[in-house]
Amino acid sequence: MLLLQNARIASENSPVLVEGDVLIVEGKIQHIGSNLAIPEGARVIDARGRVLMPAMFDAHVHFRAPGFENKETITTGSEAAINGGVTGVVMMPNTRPALDSATAIATVLENAKHRSRIPVYTSGCVTKNREGKELAEIEGMRELGVKMLTDDGDTTHDPAVLLRAMQYATEFGMFFASHCEVPELAGPRALNEGVMSYRLGIKGSPACAEEIIIDRDIRLARAAGAHIHIQHVSSKLGMETIRWWKSRGDVKVTAEVAPHHLLFTDEHIGDYDTNYKMNPPLRTQADCDALLEGLIEGVFDLIATDHAPHTPYEKAQDFISAPNGITGLDTALVSLYHHFVRPGKFGWDLVVKRYSAEPRRLMGLPVPTIEVGQEANCVLFDTEAETTFTREFMKSKSQNTPFIDQTLKGRVDMVILGTEVLLER
Amino acid sequence: MARKDLLDIASLHREEIEFLLDQSTSFKKLFTRSVKKIPALEGKSVLMLFYEASTRTHSSFEVAAKRLSAEVTNFNVDHSSITKGESVRETIETLQAMRTDYIVVRHGHSGLPGMIARQTTASVINAGDGAHEHPTQALLDAFTIQEKFPDPRGKKVLIIGDILHSRVARSTSTLLQKLGVEVAYLGPGSLVPKYVPESIRRFTDYEAAMAWAPDVVYLLRVQMERQDVQFFPSLREYHRVYGITNDRLAEIRQRGLYIMHPGPVNRGVELCDAVMDYERSLITNQVENGISVRMAVLDWLTPGGEFPRQEAYAAPQRASSPVTMP
Ligand SMILES: [Zn+2]
Repeated sequence: MLLLQNARIASENSPVLVEGDVLIVEGKIQHIGSNLAIPEGARVIDARGRVLMPAMFDAHVHFRAPGFENKETITTGSEAAINGGVTGVVMMPNTRPALDSATAIATVLENAKHRSRIPVYTSGCVTKNREGKELAEIEGMRELGVKMLTDDGDTTHDPAVLLRAMQYATEFGMFFASHCEVPELAGPRALNEGVMSYRLGIKGSPACAEEIIIDRDIRLARAAGAHIHIQHVSSKLGMETIRWWKSRGDVKVTAEVAPHHLLFTDEHIGDYDTNYKMNPPLRTQADCDALLEGLIEGVFDLIATDHAPHTPYEKAQDFISAPNGITGLDTALVSLYHHFVRPGKFGWDLVVKRYSAEPRRLMGLPVPTIEVGQEANCVLFDTEAETTFTREFMKSKSQNTPFIDQTLKGRVDMVILGTEVLLER
Repeated sequence: MARKDLLDIASLHREEIEFLLDQSTSFKKLFTRSVKKIPALEGKSVLMLFYEASTRTHSSFEVAAKRLSAEVTNFNVDHSSITKGESVRETIETLQAMRTDYIVVRHGHSGLPGMIARQTTASVINAGDGAHEHPTQALLDAFTIQEKFPDPRGKKVLIIGDILHSRVARSTSTLLQKLGVEVAYLGPGSLVPKYVPESIRRFTDYEAAMAWAPDVVYLLRVQMERQDVQFFPSLREYHRVYGITNDRLAEIRQRGLYIMHPGPVNRGVELCDAVMDYERSLITNQVENGISVRMAVLDWLTPGGEFPRQEAYAAPQRASSPVTMP
């Protein structure tokens, strides 16, 4: 029994926080009200001034298992999630072996059951070994609960292959998630084509390399009657392309944006800082502004981190040799609060809607709320405390993030899932 | 005022540039003496780490170091294998253990010399990194121009060719602008990035560029090894559109313009044979000046100086096979 007193309760439906006591009994929210009587044996937490909200859900993470356990494991990845207030994730299938068959999916899900304190879902590949040629074992994966198909990290190159996959898998109620990039245009390295790529002397990847596939894949989905989910959009025109397609209303499109694309530009790369090397690359301030606009407007249905761990050794190479990607789970919620909620760019309702509710809806999962009768699946967040992202703080096995050693306002104090208190600071 | 490393031109202050150019003048005077060696770097070791083959820059640094009485070692780099950052890290650990005083490094990856500089106590000189910088080339170019125009302010230099892949274009244009020289680019649209700094004029047409009245025409080398990707239809066409043809040389001679080229020259591509005998070609002057400029740089740097931002890098941890993925 847990009684949270005087918490400020957030929901996706209201920009206003409602103050109240919340009583959790046997993992369920039993009462909400003011000045609730303290039941015998209840643990009482003074939550005054702190925000209580449904826990986050990240629909785009790389847990690197199997095959790259030196970067991350399901255990360390899910602990990083909890550390950041996230109680459910969808893994990407670019592991080794790739998650392109029922066997591979079964192994991962079985592992996750024993190695994670939160539910871990996984997507499956569109094509065998993500090679873009032969269709993966789609039906077998569906039987194990896979809903999202993606060759994440690579675009399914041949549009005919993707179209066929869409025509086939839509019958099974599955949807497609697209990493959008024309490799021939993108060049070898994750750096935006612009002032910075000239200065650093590295061939840049123009935003059109991404925008072309955003448009292509939506058109394919329209032709196939499929649901397409566009991953980690980084460009203004990419956002506008999605907005236009959504406004037509004749194809099911959802889209996500990552916190780093809202927060950083290619200028942050500075003197070849590989903590800012990711794909799609960081673009310009105008792109960041447009992405924020798209998020507020709802062009982006959800926020997802594309949590992509790499070992310090790999990231400490030169910019060209270093792999793409940054971690995001430990830092996302606090950084969204610090940079957007606190300065009033958007409210807690947006955070809850886009980072808790919508990603679960995408995956067809029940959406937790702070309401009587609901399972407790929530985060208690201190808006006045600070978090310093030291190496010790991070629970991810890798710490390739621009936030390393930064101190930001906000702190995830508690994460509660059912009868378990997963985290308490 | 001295620094530990010379990695780029962008971060050099004007006074530092002027100092280096002055020193180069003094070192150049030595060349007329019968004994060309001075003991400035006696007991110091210079390590040559060339991941890209380059006879010209390599030997220029070697002669410069030897004239300063330094000991020169060549670190054997296997040009046949792909030398990625991962293996360079291993090499750096070895180099640091060797306690060499200077490392002269050339690598195809932009930013790699900076990475070495942060992880060693040696003074690192960037001898060309990817399409990023080639600071000693820029200094020798500026020095060569200054010999002809002692006050180069307001002079105009037209750089022609592959800007996209050229570290020379980047470094030399940056340095010349710091000295008050006006710079313009001319090249195929596929080889001139859309985002060159606004301070650099951009021409798409040779005649228009000539009408701008440059004092120096600086031809960049066409990198034949890049011809697997077609940036322009043919070398013949390149020569006709962007090269110094016989007709164009006649005009250049008439106007008394200087011609420069970082070498080695592709005859019949960037320029016709006759340019090599043109009295205002500064191509051999550039080679000669390379030595005194590099002596000045070696003499100026102070090995063992502070490590800039060393703490930004974690101690290396051994990891299994590297894989690039998002
Ligand atoms: Zn991803």
